[in-house]
This record gives sequence, structure tokens and C-alpha cells, in this order.
Amino acid sequence: MSARAERIGLLAVPGLSFLAVIYALPLFLLLLKSFQIDGQFSVAEYITFFGDDFNMAVLWRTLRVACLTTLLALVIAYPTAIIMARAKGIWLSIFLIAMVLPMSVGVVVKAFAWSILFRTRGVLNDTLISLGITDAPIRMLFTETALIIGAANVFLPFMVLPIYAVLRQMDQRLPEAAASLGATPVFRFTNVTLPLSLPGVVAGCAFTFSLAISMYVIPSLIVGERQQTLSMLTARSFLFLRNEALGATISSILLIIAISVVLGSSWLASRLGARQ
Amino acid sequence: MNDPVRQTSGERSYLDVVRVGKAFKDTKVLSDLDFRVGQGELVSLLGPSGCGKTTLLRLIAGLTPADSGDVVLDGRSITAIPAHKRNISVVFQSYALFPHLSVAENVAFGLRARGMAKGATGPKVTEALALVRMSDFADRPVSALSGGQQQRVAVARALIVDPVLLLLDEPFSALDRKLRETMQVELKSLLRDRQMTAIFVTHDQEEAMAVSDRIAVMNAGIIEQFASPAELYARPATPFVMDFIGLSLRLRGQVSSTAADQSRVETAYGEVVVPKLFPLGTKLVLGVRPELVTPTKRENTLSVQIADTMVLGSKTQLHGLSEAPDRLICELPGIRDEYRRGQDVQFGWDVANTLVYEAAA
Repeated sequence: MSARAERIGLLAVPGLSFLAVIYALPLFLLLLKSFQIDGQFSVAEYITFFGDDFNMAVLWRTLRVACLTTLLALVIAYPTAIIMARAKGIWLSIFLIAMVLPMSVGVVVKAFAWSILFRTRGVLNDTLISLGITDAPIRMLFTETALIIGAANVFLPFMVLPIYAVLRQMDQRLPEAAASLGATPVFRFTNVTLPLSLPGVVAGCAFTFSLAISMYVIPSLIVGERQQTLSMLTARSFLFLRNEALGATISSILLIIAISVVLGSSWLASRLGARQ
Repeated sequence: MNDPVRQTSGERSYLDVVRVGKAFKDTKVLSDLDFRVGQGELVSLLGPSGCGKTTLLRLIAGLTPADSGDVVLDGRSITAIPAHKRNISVVFQSYALFPHLSVAENVAFGLRARGMAKGATGPKVTEALALVRMSDFADRPVSALSGGQQQRVAVARALIVDPVLLLLDEPFSALDRKLRETMQVELKSLLRDRQMTAIFVTHDQEEAMAVSDRIAVMNAGIIEQFASPAELYARPATPFVMDFIGLSLRLRGQVSSTAADQSRVETAYGEVVVPKLFPLGTKLVLGVRPELVTPTKRENTLSVQIADTMVLGSKTQLHGLSEAPDRLICELPGIRDEYRRGQDVQFGWDVANTLVYEAAA
């Protein structure tokens, strides 16, 4: 590394040390705690955790909800990103504001707003009953489906923006070149636009999945204690059960999942990038 | 010359663009434009940026819809046919190679788009790459190629589908001068061998003259003249064409007297005679190609003070002191270093070599 590059590297010091003290150190201590019982190294906590049916059910639910949330967000986000990448002027501003503005409304506010919509005597059920589509109100709040819909809604911008950014950068001549070579709109999409947008899709999925796997407020407000997720279980362990070892263990499992997602997605992104 | 646009070189036209108009947000880009190309012709659309040449190309390719008019190819209207069904290949200025595909995959794209299985494209791809001398690069990613190599791949990709027409949008502008000249010669002979009908878009008059049978000089959404390079140079139809193609001595003037089929014109540098009759007082623009001007007395002679001399190797240019848009220039073959700045000389030329146009109001 040249002397100049070394000096520029110094600019990273404040950020890195902030992360080291505030982020890496406490997480490392937490990880240590999960392997310790009475000062001795032990994996007993992990064995206990994975041996418990309830814990496993929570783990699977957490993974399932995170996967489905990511999938739903992707399905909604991709067409939105395409439209945004083509939008100009005032329309682009409207889309960007529509993406960013909801992030400034707290999740708590949104969750209570949904409960007005989804609850047993809520707007949606009243409408369905008055239209005669259903006789009795459908249970919507406190279900996994409501959780996935809610989470996908909150995390949507984190899926849309990376895909939008990649599509926006794409040379608009590429689909035109494909058309002039005889490619139908479908062939153009599957062979040009889609493969070139994959780095954005990977980034968006990594963001959304990481957020969805560790979300706490949204499931607490939408499904409550009835269907816990790993984050809720962690909080319960620390706050109510006073079982720090269990809390540390679950946190570590979450951490490992998050790290795998980040490493996996950056590997995938660099592989996709290398081809370009 | 009265209707320069409607001439065609062949007996019948192959591509026939009929009265097309296009406007972007109230700005007219093409106004009722006619344009005809014969089969196997190499044609250039030449003009300054914003003249509508790229829009005309995109309209023929089907990438931009026309507001009015018709595009007819080989006797069939293609105006309503989408780009991917026209079988017209385009080579873009940026080449638009697919960055996620290898060289061979890029070249195979058109075959695959036409439903050929991935495994079956091999022989044609090999042939196409050999045609542009890129066989050794088949498995490389396109990002690893130089500008000239990328252009070759773009040409191979465009030709592999046997297009009915090849359109090239500023295909040489990303290349440096030496490489550009080599590629022009190479591409021209390649297209000739395949009897391809091709339309180049360019703003570079030397490039247009090098690669085309005929050049359509465009300005502000219309074709000012459509003719062979020699015709354009020797007999430009408008002052715009005269200025755009090559250099010329250029003067503004007013008719002061007339005799037989000639007019005498008063200019800021003296009186000259032009080979055409105009009413007294008509405002004119005159031009003479610089190699037809000599530093000696001729039928028309002006006294000039040399403002600059440029020794350009194969030729020497003498620039006389003048005020824009007038221009006094004389071009002599070979190296002539006996002329000095500030020296008084006479620029002379023959009446018959004088180009003359009525000045725009």
C-alpha cells in the first residue's frame, strides 16, 4: 500500500473504532457468555436450546417469517423498481418520496394503524361482512400472515432502493440492442434486465432478510406473545425469565444467521459482479 | 439538384422513409422527411448534434415511434412492426455489449433470441468471430476488450442474424484516430463483401466520406442534400452543406451589376463575378473550395493580407485577414514556407469555380 493510501486509510479510524467499541465488543462478550456456565466453557446452553421443541418451533417460525417476508417484499418491489428506473422528473420524485417518507413514521404508529384495519371489528372485516363475502369476522390480527404482510410493508424500501439503483445504472441501450437482435420483451427481461439486476436483488434480499430475522417491535405488536420469534424470546429471557445464558445463546444464534446472510450475499454479489 | 432528397442510385429504393415527422415535447426533430436507400448501398446521415440524425436512425430501427409518415422496407410498410420483428440490427455508439455475457455469448444472442438452442449456435458464432478476426477472444468477458475489439464484437453480433439492414450510430467515435481509420476501411470492405445495406450516423464528415456511397447532410430536422461525396464537395446544394463538407473561402456580398448570365458582386474585400444571374441588390453567399484558389491573379482576384500560414505536410493553407463569417483561404499542394504573416498577396480563382447562394433572409 502506498503512503498516500495509508494516510487516506486513517479516515476509516473513527468509524471503525466506534463500531469496535459500541458493536463488536458487546457482541463478543455476549457470545462468550453463551459458552459459559459458572465460569466454565460449555456448549450445554446450545444443547438445551436445540433440544427444546418450543425453542425449535420459534426458530423455524422466525426463519419462515423472514423468508416469506423477503419473498413478498421482492415480488412487490421488483416491478416498482422497474417503473421507478424508467420514471423521470416529478414522477421519480413522487416515487422516491413515497419510498422514504413511510420510514419516518415509526413502526409503532404503523402497527397500531394496521390493527385498526385488521382487527375483528376492523375496517377490513366490516367491509367484508357488509359485502356479504363472509358471515363472521375473519381473524387477521395475531396471525403469521398479518405479520408477514406488515413486515414486508415496513421493509419494502430496503428492497426497492437497491434494485432501483442497479436498474437505473443499467445502460438503456442494452435492452434496445437486445430488441434489435430479435429479442421479444420477455426474452429481453429474462436474458438482459433480470441477470443485470441480480446484484441489486441480492443486496435487497440481504437487507430485508437481516431486518426481518431480527425484528422485535413488529411481531410484538402484530402477533404478540402468542407466536414468538427469536428476538422476542431473547427479550423475554433477559427481561422476564432473568435467564441471561439463554438470552445470550439465542442472540448468538441470531448473530450467526445474520453473519452468514451478510457473508453469503457479499460472496454472491461479488460473483455476479465479477462476470460483469 | 432541385430536389436532392428524392434521388436514388438504384432503379428502385430498398428502404423508403416517407414524410416522417417527430417532435419531442413541442420541439420538432424531424419535419416531413423523405429518405431513400437502394439495396446494398452504404449511406451516411451526417450533421451536427441535434440535427435529428440519431432520431431518424432509431425510427428506422423501430426504437422510437414516428409521429407521422411511413417507413417502407423492401416494398412492405414496417411502421407498425416492433423493433424485435424488423430484423434490422443496430451497432450503438457505446456498442451496448451485454456485460454479463462472454464474447461468444454476446455474438450468439441474436440466434438465441430467435429460438436457437444454446448448443446449436457454435458454428455460426465461430464463423462470425472469424469474420471480425476475434476468434481468439470467444471466451473472454467483454469488459476485458479494448475499444476496437468491442466494436468488432458488436459488428459480429449485429451481422450473425443476417439482418435486412444494418444501422450504425457513431460507430467509430469512441476510437482513437489511427484505429478509427483502420476500422473504417475494414468495416467498409466487410459490408461490401456481404452486400449489406447499411446506414451510418456520424457528425464527422471525413468518416462519412470514407465509408459511404452517398451522404445525406442533415440540418435542423431536414435533409439539405443527399448525394455522393464527390457531388457534395464539388456542388454543395446549400451554404450549410458547403460549410459542413470541407473548408471553403466564404464571402457575403450584394449584386451591384449584371451582364449576360453573370452577376458582379460587391463584397467587403473587393468585387467578384459569379456565374449566375441575380436581380440587382440581391444578398448572396459565395464560396470557393480552397484548392481552387491560387495566390495569383485570376478571373476573380482579391487583395489579401496573410493572417496565418499553416504547413500541414501534404498541403499548405494561407489564411487571409477577414472578419467572421467571411473567410479567406487558399490551399497549395506540398510545403510552401515562402509566405509570411502580414504579407500582402492576391487570392485568385475562376468564375466557373464560384459557388453562389442567395443569403437567407
